[in-house]
Amino acid sequence: MKRRDFVKTVSRLGGLAVGAQFLDFYPPNGLTAVPSLLIPMDDAQSDHLKAYGLAYRVIQAGLKAEWLLNYRGGAFLVPDGDALRRDAVLNGVRAEPVDGGAVTAIRGQIEANNMDMVPLEKPPKVAVYVPPNVAPWDDAVTMALQYAGIPFAKVWDPEVLNGGLRDYDWLHLHHEDFTGQYSKFFLIYSGMPWLADMVQRNSDTARRLGFPTVPALKKAVARSIRGYVENGGFLFAMCTATETIDLALAAHDVDIAATFADGTPLDPDADAKLDWSQAFAFTGGHIEQNPLIASFSDIDGHQVNGGSRRQPLGAFTLFNFSAKIDPVPTMLVQNHRQVIPDFYGLTTSFMRQRLKPGVTVLADEEGAPWTKYIHGDLGKGTWTFFGGHDPEDPQHQIGDPPTDLSLHPHSSGYRLILNNVLFPAAKKRELKT
Amino acid sequence: MKRSLNLALALAVAAPVAARGQAIGQGFELERSGRYADAANVYLTTLRADAANIPALLGLERVLFVLNRLPELQPLVQRARARAPDNPALRGLELRVYAGLNQGDSLEAAARRWAAAAPHSDAPYREWALALADRRGFDEARRVLLAGRKAVGGEGTLAIELAELEQRAGNWEAAAREWGRAVAQSPDIGPNASSQLTEAPDAMRERVVRALAAPPPEGSARARRVGAELQLVWGQPLEAWALFEPTIGADPDAQPALRRFADLAGTLSTPAGHRARGLALNRWADLVPSPLSERARAEAVRELLEGGDRVAARRVLEGLATDSAAPPDAHAIAEAALLEVLVADGQLDAAERRLAADNALSGDDRGALRLALARARIARGELDRAAAALGDDSSVAALAQRGWIALYRGELKSAMAAFRTAGPYAGDRAAATERTAMLALLQRISDEKNPELGAALLTLARGDSAAAIVALRHAAARLPAQGGRPDVLLIAAQVAARLGGSNEATATALFDEIVRGGGEGAAPAAAELEWARLLVRQGHGAEAIPHLEHLILTYPGSAFVPEARRELERVRGAIPKS
Repeated sequence: MKRRDFVKTVSRLGGLAVGAQFLDFYPPNGLTAVPSLLIPMDDAQSDHLKAYGLAYRVIQAGLKAEWLLNYRGGAFLVPDGDALRRDAVLNGVRAEPVDGGAVTAIRGQIEANNMDMVPLEKPPKVAVYVPPNVAPWDDAVTMALQYAGIPFAKVWDPEVLNGGLRDYDWLHLHHEDFTGQYSKFFLIYSGMPWLADMVQRNSDTARRLGFPTVPALKKAVARSIRGYVENGGFLFAMCTATETIDLALAAHDVDIAATFADGTPLDPDADAKLDWSQAFAFTGGHIEQNPLIASFSDIDGHQVNGGSRRQPLGAFTLFNFSAKIDPVPTMLVQNHRQVIPDFYGLTTSFMRQRLKPGVTVLADEEGAPWTKYIHGDLGKGTWTFFGGHDPEDPQHQIGDPPTDLSLHPHSSGYRLILNNVLFPAAKKRELKT
Repeated sequence: MKRSLNLALALAVAAPVAARGQAIGQGFELERSGRYADAANVYLTTLRADAANIPALLGLERVLFVLNRLPELQPLVQRARARAPDNPALRGLELRVYAGLNQGDSLEAAARRWAAAAPHSDAPYREWALALADRRGFDEARRVLLAGRKAVGGEGTLAIELAELEQRAGNWEAAAREWGRAVAQSPDIGPNASSQLTEAPDAMRERVVRALAAPPPEGSARARRVGAELQLVWGQPLEAWALFEPTIGADPDAQPALRRFADLAGTLSTPAGHRARGLALNRWADLVPSPLSERARAEAVRELLEGGDRVAARRVLEGLATDSAAPPDAHAIAEAALLEVLVADGQLDAAERRLAADNALSGDDRGALRLALARARIARGELDRAAAALGDDSSVAALAQRGWIALYRGELKSAMAAFRTAGPYAGDRAAATERTAMLALLQRISDEKNPELGAALLTLARGDSAAAIVALRHAAARLPAQGGRPDVLLIAAQVAARLGGSNEATATALFDEIVRGGGEGAAPAAAELEWARLLVRQGHGAEAIPHLEHLILTYPGSAFVPEARRELERVRGAIPKS
């Protein structure tokens, strides 16, 4: 379900009928009398992350759920049923039975405040762009999806270039370096087996797909992803993928890769030749020319590997949007915390002065020149960029064990990722203004 | 007036110097904030006033590289060189600029000119090689350093540079050889050498140690000590000691090196680590004066006992016992250790006699030894002698131990009373948890005395697990269904599951019986969780899922639910395996 063809309105009872067997749910006559379960997302919730999985499974079963924006931390209202209660208990998700009267009261409260109810109708098909080898770092989105129990498929360069993205509604990119420079670890981690494997796989893939170099391959992949979004796809990117996909798109005719990546030095006038009109989010960036510094440009505010340029971590604040006027950004910032501790990534944040006009800032650090979480439209689709690597491992180092999310069931950072997964399930409707 | 004039002159002279310093500071600040072009302008302005200003030239080297304007630096360096032709910092900079501009011929010519001007210095070769290595010209850099070694003379010349170069190039074995040469020349760099080589990948470690362990004349005692330290850090303490011990001689480095080895071994918590530390401390004691030596030996005994080397511990103790010069505290430590050895060796009567006769032991040591003796008696099934060993000790630890003795005698109410009184204060957390678990079991049994259950638990405590399973099942059969039977069966099932092999079928049958029996109490939920875990261990993760789901849904208030959820998530692959 791409944005271009958001699910056509399915009648409420029709939708319920599809999943009725699954959920042992048989709706009584009269909508207001429908017994429901409220899944609170404020501090009463016992596992915020698994609650998203529960909501996903409800719509996967063909039932309709409602996302109560700004109500109790972005609660979900789902039909009551034995199977659903069982699912909630098994996963440790708090679900509160509410009768028709209580639902009416909730609707009244929502109507009178900066809140809204968004129907969730069809589960998005999720793809995660991930190389076939096991990298020595974790991927926050993969872990969040696995923990919440949301199914996803893995795609890589061959699938992307062969048009495979059209089968998916939502694409996630994480640590990939679309400049084709292996995250600029080539010189620093020279001799490491994982790096040798990464170089070998990428080189083989480039050769097999007819590209002269890995940077050329990655530029083509970046262009395909851009096309996917233009045609209505939802793109969510974190960490290095945010910055490097834009650099790769802007550098379609410029060599921005160091000699070790493509055998030729980067163009000394690269900065002047970058075509930012092709990029999703950024403009006017300057390329980091030193191959020994694992930084790509001055788009990132924190420069974690930039020596003296490295900035300390603070905390970022989610913006408050008008739920009834701006439901999309409101969905993306639903949380039980408004201020969230920051976390490093190879790209941690986005300098405000490098953002294109029209980009929506969803979260930033007060008083700092950078933003953390941004969103925008391209063609018929949308993109969302979230800086940093792992919200629960602020200093994530190469080789660290993956984060065990059962120890962080209330992670506000991971909630932002899962907001993005559910957001394409929302039924499109006309804005009121 | 004259004084004022002098001050004025001094200020007049100092002002430009201070201004230049201030300007350089501004350049640094601009550099730090990423404004490289502005920083370059500040440095260039400084050089217009002082062409040979080294900080400004070095600043330009940094920022012009980033700005891709390195060619601008070349004429400035030449001008500075004309002003200060013998300045080594400028000569080094000149080499780096040529290297940065890829002007290999000029680089070599400048380096050779410098070497000719300073024939006894290794600096030209070092700077030349570093300039090449920074451009990843590792082979050329190696040739330059070896040429420097030949020209300046000496096996260890430029060894550190060669070691670092080989390390950067990933040649760990060669790096180890060079560190060995470097450390032979200067012992102070030993810690740096081992710290650098620690990073060697797993596959290269054996070769690194072999390179350092080479016999003379190629190798040296100091190099072998570096190899031994590496083995310690890599978790091979006994191999490390085997390499280290033969290097101990009359050299002045031996004593501090031994102490360092012992300290490093102290960071390992494995038995082998304790043993290596004990052996090292004992040798160190030979090299230091009294009373340090006796204290070191006493500490060595403890470490050797922790490491399970009772033979070595006893040998050290014998030495201490005959040492009339040993201070009283060392003697007390040695005596306590000797008693520990006797108890561990099963010489309980001898230990008891010595304990009764010795008055030098501290109160704490005496109490700990009484408890150890009581435990050893229990392990033999000698409950009366265990009680006698505790004597009139009124500590909570002794009280807890009396609780266990009462339990094994089948005096359930007395055991409960003792455990309750001891509370969580005796022993470590594991011991307190064990008592609490037993208290929870006893609370479900209404009998005041149950010798059969006591005997079954004693069999388990004595380590005869197979017999304990049978005895516990018999004891459970005599208990009512809601009066402790499932709880006793659970112990039997857990023991069977732990034993593995054919006992796993017994465990499964017992878990099944407990779960089917249901009822109140923690046993059914605990049994279902253990059952699921057994299935996971057996590779039947899918079969474990219904058990975990049943547990969560049937006993939502149970304390085992969070553990069951976590297990469920792990089986489903929702969280990483840990």
